[in-house]
Amino acid sequence: MSEVKKRLPIKEGLFKPPGNGDEGYLVGSRCKACGVYFHPKRVVCANCYGEDLEEVALSRRGKITTYTIARTSYPMTPVTAPFITAQVELPEKIRVLSLMTGVDLDKVKIGMEVELCFWKTGEDEKGNEVVAYAFRPIPT
Amino acid sequence: MAKKEVVILGVGVIKFGRVTGRGLLDMAREAGLKALKDAGVDFRDIQIGFCAHCNQPMGTGLDCFAELGMTGIPVTNVEVACASESRGVLLAAEMIAAGAYDMALVIGLEKMPRGMVPSIGDIKDLPYRFLTGIMPMPGEYAMQAREHMHLYGTKVEHFAKAAEKAHRNGSLNPNATYQEVYSLEQIMNSRMIADPITMLMCSANADGATATVVCSTKKAKQYTTKPMLLVGWAAGTPMYVKGESISLAEGPTKYLAKKVHEMSGLGPEDVDVAQVHDAFSPGEIFIVEDLGFCPKGEGGTFVWEGNTEIEGKTPVNTDGGLVSCGHPIGATGGRMIAELCWQLKGTAEPRQVPGKPKVALLHNQGLGGTNVMMFKM
Repeated sequence: MSEVKKRLPIKEGLFKPPGNGDEGYLVGSRCKACGVYFHPKRVVCANCYGEDLEEVALSRRGKITTYTIARTSYPMTPVTAPFITAQVELPEKIRVLSLMTGVDLDKVKIGMEVELCFWKTGEDEKGNEVVAYAFRPIPT
Repeated sequence: MAKKEVVILGVGVIKFGRVTGRGLLDMAREAGLKALKDAGVDFRDIQIGFCAHCNQPMGTGLDCFAELGMTGIPVTNVEVACASESRGVLLAAEMIAAGAYDMALVIGLEKMPRGMVPSIGDIKDLPYRFLTGIMPMPGEYAMQAREHMHLYGTKVEHFAKAAEKAHRNGSLNPNATYQEVYSLEQIMNSRMIADPITMLMCSANADGATATVVCSTKKAKQYTTKPMLLVGWAAGTPMYVKGESISLAEGPTKYLAKKVHEMSGLGPEDVDVAQVHDAFSPGEIFIVEDLGFCPKGEGGTFVWEGNTEIEGKTPVNTDGGLVSCGHPIGATGGRMIAELCWQLKGTAEPRQVPGKPKVALLHNQGLGGTNVMMFKM
């Protein structure tokens, strides 16, 4: 890890990759007027239409509400089939679509408790590490 | 909105197929001429045009209409993903109901590559799920299917049954891309794409074109004594509801169905034949519930027990649906309308619904954009 130049998110604004002793998190927003959370973050609240939203770090743990095991993948993308894509519900009542890692294909279940982690999708032209987020089962 | 002011005067569908090599304008002309002839009108009677497509070059609609004639009418391209063409028809209907025009032609068409639907545009603007590749196209339906199985005990066999029926109906449709009959076992054992969706539960990319002549009831009297009336319609996009996830919702189908029932005075129990958006066959199960043909959670058994068969209680996708016809994105809505038109006219042999169907419901959706229409003969 120490030789890594920089760690960049595959898409800006969705999450903060781990680094400098920080473990990384999903970036959301919370409407100061009505208290509703969103991910991805929003400028206009979809609930009350207020524009005073603050950026927040979302909970790192959640529960799988549904999933699929993809047996085919798009060319030129960093995932290779088979892989699991899950919908994870966070305590903020947000559902996030995410890759699942660290679980066998036949072990994934609706209701499974999971935690946020990150995976390397590739490198950019400067040799920086490009990362995306995933969820994995919480070790018991 | 004015009721019973709009009719479907003519429809045209060309043979759909995989990478046919046909020219876009050639396809458009064939579909357009078929619809004009079916309506018994001349292109010079058309006052406004809409062209539905998603992946074709800028200005495609203008070129397509020029193939039929150059009368100077306004032509507008319409894009609502898989629901583009039915939206084009609704735009025409809304303008006709408002009294702005008497007759419109809507052409929908697409040439599709092999494989999964590609994305275009600046890579920076692509959604996270495309950049990472974590969501192949059937993924949303697959996750909804898994959730449906978990919540209601729906079985993979139920999804396969919807596909089996689609392929069987499609075998009776000369315009379908695939006209093959498959057994439940063949469908369940075909290549897994996104669990629980197998290849034979997926609509394939296809080339195709369709066209619809939309007309005011008053004007239509010049051409026919028995047109198919468009008696209710509603279009929409996903709605934010506090505490509910919209990431897997294809669109506000239930809400739109209610609006259409109010406008037409016809409820799900009145519907004799329906077309629903089965881009992947679990879709039929979710949508028959949302349209009110059966209670929430019972779509699996409703389909399994044969209620959506041509001879069933509520025949659905009598032409084979997207699964068998193939999915030329911009042309699918018109294909759905045409089948309902043939069913209500009694000319859908050999897949004609028995007992002279009189009321038809259409549901077409794409990436959240949704259109629902009620027709009556």
